[in-house]
Amino acid sequence: MDNRLFMFLGFFATGVAIVVITVGISSLLPVYKIIFLIIGIFFSCLALSVRGYSYLITPVFRQRKRDIVISNEDAFWISSAGDAILTKDGGEYVSTVFVRIPLYRSGTEMTDEEKLNFSTQLTKLVSASELPVRYTSQIYIMNKDNYINTIRSNASAAQLEESSLTSTGAPESAVHRARGKASMWQTMLDNVRKTTSLEMVTYAMVSARGDQEYEALSTAQQRAREVMSGIAAVFGVQPSVITGQDILKFVEPEYLIPYSTTTEQMAQQMNEGDLNG
Amino acid sequence: MDEEAIMYLVFCAIVPVLIIANLGAFGGGIWSVLAVLLAALNLTFLVAMTFADFFVFPLITGMLGITFQPFKDYKITKGQDAVIKNINGLYYATGFVTSNLFAFVFKAEQTEEGLEMKQVQAIDAWEKMVMSVKFAFKFHVLSVARDVQIVRDELEGKRSYQEFEMSKALQAKNSNEVIIGGIQRKINVIQAQIDNIGGGEKPMASLMYFETTAVGVSEKSALDALAAQVKQLQVAASGMNTQLTRIVGRELYILFRYSFMLPVDFNEMHSNFDVEQ
Repeated sequence: MDNRLFMFLGFFATGVAIVVITVGISSLLPVYKIIFLIIGIFFSCLALSVRGYSYLITPVFRQRKRDIVISNEDAFWISSAGDAILTKDGGEYVSTVFVRIPLYRSGTEMTDEEKLNFSTQLTKLVSASELPVRYTSQIYIMNKDNYINTIRSNASAAQLEESSLTSTGAPESAVHRARGKASMWQTMLDNVRKTTSLEMVTYAMVSARGDQEYEALSTAQQRAREVMSGIAAVFGVQPSVITGQDILKFVEPEYLIPYSTTTEQMAQQMNEGDLNG
Repeated sequence: MDEEAIMYLVFCAIVPVLIIANLGAFGGGIWSVLAVLLAALNLTFLVAMTFADFFVFPLITGMLGITFQPFKDYKITKGQDAVIKNINGLYYATGFVTSNLFAFVFKAEQTEEGLEMKQVQAIDAWEKMVMSVKFAFKFHVLSVARDVQIVRDELEGKRSYQEFEMSKALQAKNSNEVIIGGIQRKINVIQAQIDNIGGGEKPMASLMYFETTAVGVSEKSALDALAAQVKQLQVAASGMNTQLTRIVGRELYILFRYSFMLPVDFNEMHSNFDVEQ
């Protein structure tokens, strides 16, 4: 029997039994009857809550605190081959595979007919698979850390060159050139930090369950292959399974917003706050 | 509201009905009044949890300050409207927004005039929306094929009901042409859907939603930033002629879990959401 239904029947039967017994015992004082009534009502409310909140009932009663832990396990781990994420749900393993859809087309370069065809292709894509597939368009902030570091080191080198030329009494033209170079790198650094660059990626996600890790993994890979052939047939592109650290971009929030961007945003917010304050 | 929810409500309402039916057992006077009040309170809660749990559940957790930890390092806030992850003192708040949570998508409903124009405009509207948003977000379409025979049986049931309504409307003394016309249109749509299934089209169910993440140095700042992003998304998506609604409560938990594992079939997906027809 479904666990949820089992819980519902248990709570419902308890609630009804308490109320029936309470009203049935005539010798019971009214004040006790009301107390038992409240308990019966509580079970009836609990029985209804099972429909949507069965996942909460056990943790709430076991922990009896404000910060309730539904699960203390990691949300997922990456498979040893690096081509899927795994998680545990109940006693089963759930494996999820991500498939990149390389679409680099824009409506600005399409005629109305091409736009219509593209819309039709999208409809076909969504209905291509019998199994649940999630298609996602993700816009995330580009990680410019390496780029910024390169510019920053170039700016530092140019400033160093300028100061060494000034201190050694080099010709004024050489000093001016070095100063211009330092200024150029600094301006570039300021501009790169100022603007947030966004990237867009489209991918599909499929999951499969299994009693063993390898079972879930192989079924998910099989499903991913089905989805990939569907995507290839509809769009005429070559989809690929996303592997390794790239998967984190799709599941971990911190990979959506790089650390450097975050600190820049905060500095900007603080500056704006100072100006407004 | 689906039949399952109504079944749960009907069963749980047995408790307050039992109380009202046995008022004499409480000895009359103040105790009977108290019993009636408790039964009324119970019934109100049951109805509210069935039809507006998205309002009742966050209200309870907000008042009691209850938070949930769905997985290690993640926390669902007491308002039940965001999932927070704390990484080295930085808080990443993720929220979900939908306009048609579990909408039933069927090609037969897209036979109206101007569909082609809508499909063409959809691409431009989407690109305009993406360009106007300057933060990280994801747009998900989760689709799954439905069992053809079950959908066919459902549609035939709906058609029979509409035909019954039609015969009632025709037999009425003061039959209204507007009502008859409305019922006839409904029958035509259902018939078109049945014909399409007969023609080999796969009935699909889909779930579309946005996910956005904001970052802050404290929980509050991350949640404030998230609220601002959700508002911006709502404004940006208004060009797509859809109203976005923020997800709260159990559906937030379900959608958050979908980031790591998808449902494996239609029934699992269907049981998690209230169906919008």
